[in-house]
Amino acid sequence: MFRNNYDNDSVTFSPQGRIFQVEYAAEAVKQGSVVVGLTSKTHAVLVAIKRNAEELSSYQKKLFEVDEHVGLAIAGLTSDARVLSNFMKQQCLSQRLTYDRPMPIETLVSMIGDKAQLNTQHYGKRPYGVGLLIAGVDETGPHLFEFQPSGMTQEMVACAIGARSQMARTYLEKNADNFNDCGREELIRHGLRALKETLVQDRELTVDNTSVGVVGFKETGKKALEFFKVHDGAEVKEWINSVEEDADAGGETAAEEGGAAAEGMQVDE
Amino acid sequence: MTSIGTGYDLSNSTFSPDGRNFQVEYAVKAVENGGTSVGIRAKDGVVLAVEKVVTSKLLKPGANKRIATIDRNLGVVYSGMIPDGRHFVDRARDEARSWRDTFKTGIPTSDLASRMGGYLQAYTLYQSVRPFGITAIIGGFDSELEAPVDGEVGSGPSVGAGGKGTGTHGGPGLYMIEPSGMYWGYYGAATGKGRQAAKAELEKLDLAAGTLSLHDAVKEAARIIYFAQQDNKDKEFELEMTWISGVNGPTKGRHEHVPKELMEEAERLAKKSLDDDDEDEEKSEEKSDDKMEE
Amino acid sequence: MDHRPQQWGRPRDDVYGAYDASYMQNNGPNQHTQQPIVTGTSVVAIKFKDGVVIAADNLASYGSLARFTNVKRLRTFAGTSVVGFGGDVSDMQYLDRHLNELAIDEAYTSEAGHTLNGRNLHKYLSKLLYHRRSKFDPLWNHLLVAGLDEDDKPFLAAADLLGTTFTSPSLATGFGSVLAQPIMRRYAPDEESAAKLTKEEAVDIIKECMKVLFYRDARSMDEYSIAVVTKEGVELKENEKLEKQSWAFADRIKGYGTQTV
Repeated sequence: MFRNNYDNDSVTFSPQGRIFQVEYAAEAVKQGSVVVGLTSKTHAVLVAIKRNAEELSSYQKKLFEVDEHVGLAIAGLTSDARVLSNFMKQQCLSQRLTYDRPMPIETLVSMIGDKAQLNTQHYGKRPYGVGLLIAGVDETGPHLFEFQPSGMTQEMVACAIGARSQMARTYLEKNADNFNDCGREELIRHGLRALKETLVQDRELTVDNTSVGVVGFKETGKKALEFFKVHDGAEVKEWINSVEEDADAGGETAAEEGGAAAEGMQVDE
Repeated sequence: MTSIGTGYDLSNSTFSPDGRNFQVEYAVKAVENGGTSVGIRAKDGVVLAVEKVVTSKLLKPGANKRIATIDRNLGVVYSGMIPDGRHFVDRARDEARSWRDTFKTGIPTSDLASRMGGYLQAYTLYQSVRPFGITAIIGGFDSELEAPVDGEVGSGPSVGAGGKGTGTHGGPGLYMIEPSGMYWGYYGAATGKGRQAAKAELEKLDLAAGTLSLHDAVKEAARIIYFAQQDNKDKEFELEMTWISGVNGPTKGRHEHVPKELMEEAERLAKKSLDDDDEDEEKSEEKSDDKMEE
Repeated sequence: MDHRPQQWGRPRDDVYGAYDASYMQNNGPNQHTQQPIVTGTSVVAIKFKDGVVIAADNLASYGSLARFTNVKRLRTFAGTSVVGFGGDVSDMQYLDRHLNELAIDEAYTSEAGHTLNGRNLHKYLSKLLYHRRSKFDPLWNHLLVAGLDEDDKPFLAAADLLGTTFTSPSLATGFGSVLAQPIMRRYAPDEESAAKLTKEEAVDIIKECMKVLFYRDARSMDEYSIAVVTKEGVELKENEKLEKQSWAFADRIKGYGTQTV
C-alpha cells in the first residue's frame, strides 16, 4: 500500500533526507487547474483557468482578494486555500488597524510560509495541499510570490502552478525579459497566452472559464493604486479575443506552441 | 551497521542498538544537498556568505534573501531545507527578544547559540516531531562598549560610587549548529553541498592567528563560495553576503548586507582567482571522506 | 503562649491587642496606577516646510523636587521619527523599550525598504495607550510624534494616556498647551502658514517657547533637547541650554511667596 516505509507522515525523513509526505502534498497542487502570475514595473497580474464539476454546475473560483493591495490565486485543495486566505485577510486588517498601513507583501507571504512549515514538522498535522500565487503592490512596488506546501515561498518575476503548468512556465521563461516594461494590457495578454499554452486539444479560453486579477499603480512613479480586482465573465471577453487574434495571425507563435506542448506533455500526466 | 530495513530509522528519538538516532542523520543528509553557506570570524568582524542556487529563470534576481537579521548585531545563514531555516530564524528572533525583555540588553552571540542549540536538540527528543533539516551558522558582534540599558534616559554618576569599571569585553563570535543541536564556536565555518572544499580553503587562512581583517574576510568568503561551487559549474547561482563589525567599524556594530561596491569587487576577485586556478588545474581532485561528528 | 507558625514574630495579642489585618483585605475595587510618580513636563513641536521641530527639557521631577536633571525625553525611532514624552518617566522608559523592539522587528525586512513612518508609529502608540486605559491601567504619558507621512510630508500628532489623538501644525503637552501653544499659533495658525516656515524660523519659535516655559513653569529647567526631523533624517541635540534669558519681567510680579516689597 505504501510506496516505502518513510512516507506515512511528515515527521519522518527518508535516508536521503527527503520528506515524502511534503512531496506528495506538492502533487496535490498539480491536480488543481492552472494559474499564472506575472509582474511588470507597475502591475502584478494573476490569470487562471476555472473548472466546473459538471456541465450545469458553477465554476470554482480561483482568484481571491485579500486586501485592497493584495490578491491570490490557488491551485490544489480549495478548502486549504481558504484557511490561508482567511488568515492573510486577518493579518492585513490587523496591520491596517494597528499601524494604519497596508501590509508589506513580503511580510504577509512569510507569515503563511511559517505557518505551513509547522505543519511539516509535527506529528498529527499534515502539510497544506495547496499552492498559491500571491500578487500585490506595496511601497517597494509590485510583487509576485509563489507559495508551496513545504512552506517555501519565493519572489518571482512570473510563475505558473497547477495542472500542465510546465507549458505556461516555458512560455513565461521565453518572454520573461519583456514583462518589466509591459503596460497593463500587454501584461494581461502575456498571462493569457501563457495560460493558453496549457490547454489540451480543443479546449480554449472562454468568458466562463477564465479569470483575470489585476493590481498595480495607476501611473508610473505615482502612489495612487489600482486596487486588486478580479475580472470574470463579460469583463474578460476583450482580453480573450485579443489573444485569439494574435494566435490566428502569427504563424510563429503557433510553431512555438507546438514545441512547448510536446515538451510539456512528458511532465504532466 | 546499516540503517535501512532495521526499523530503527523509522521514527525520531529512537536509538539503534549501537546508539545512533538515524532520523537525525537523515536530517543531516538534507543539509548536505543545500547551497553552501560560509562564515568567517575575522579580527574585527564576522562575514556570512551563502550560495543561492538559481532553481528557475523566473526567480526575481536579488530578491529572496537567505541571510537573516536576528538582532541588530546578529545574523544567521543556513543550508538545507529553507522553510526549516525560516522556522529557526523566527525562534532565534523570539529568543533575542525575550532576552531583551529580561535583561534589557541584547543577547550575546554565545548565548543565542546556546539557546538555539537547545531548541534544535529538543526536536530530536520526541517521536512527535522531526529534527531540523538545516545546519545554521550564527554570526554576531557583541558590543565592546559599555552596554546602554534599553530605555535608559540619563547617565549614572560620572564619578564616585556607580563609576564604571575598565577591562575589555565583546568582540566577534561565530557558531555553527547542526540538526542534532550540537554546536561549536568557529573561526571559519562551512556547511551545505560544498562544505568539504570550503573547509579546506578556510583552513588555509590561519584564522586562529586573528590577523585577517574584515575587508579581506569578505573577499575570502566570496572566493570560497565561488571555489566550492566549481563542481556544479552548470548550475547558476547568486552570492549573498552580510557582515558585522564593531561600533567603530564599517557597519557600526550592525548586521548588514555587504554594500554593492565591495560585493562587486569581491566577486570580481573571486572569479579572477578561479580563472587563475584553472591554469594549474590538477590539485582539486582528492576528496577526503566526510566525517560526521557524533 | 501561642506557638502556631502564623503567630511567629507577631506582637502578642494580650499585650498589643489583636492584629489589625484589615489593610490586607481587599474589599474595594482593584486599583492600578492612580498617578504618575517621576514626571517630565511639556513637549513642544511645530511643523515647517520640510519637516518638524520638537523639543523637551531634560528634567524629571519627583513631585515638586527637581529629581533628575539629565533625562532625555526625546526618543528617536528607526532614525526617521522622534517621540517626545511628557508625563511618567518610567512609563516612558517602558514605551521606549517597546519601540526599540518594534524598530528591531521592522529592520528584519528593512532591506526591502519598509519602515514604519511617523503616522504608522503614532497610530500604533495611540492604540497601545488606548488599550492600556481600557484595562484601567494606563501608561501615564502625553506624547508627541514627529516624523513624516507616506508622502514624505511633515507629520505631527499627539496621543495621551486615554488614547485620545490630536493633530495640528503645532502641538504642545502639559503646561506647554497653555503657555507655548498661543506663541506657536501666532506663527503657524494653519497648515498653509506652517508650510511656509523655514527650518531656522521653526527652531527659533521652539526656542522661544522653551524659554517662556522655563520662565513660568516651576517644573521645568533650562537644559533641553531639540530635534529636527526631515527627509534627510533626525538631527537630535540633547544638551542645549536656554540662551539670552531675561528675568527683568520678574520684578513686576507681586503677591507670591515671601516677597514683601
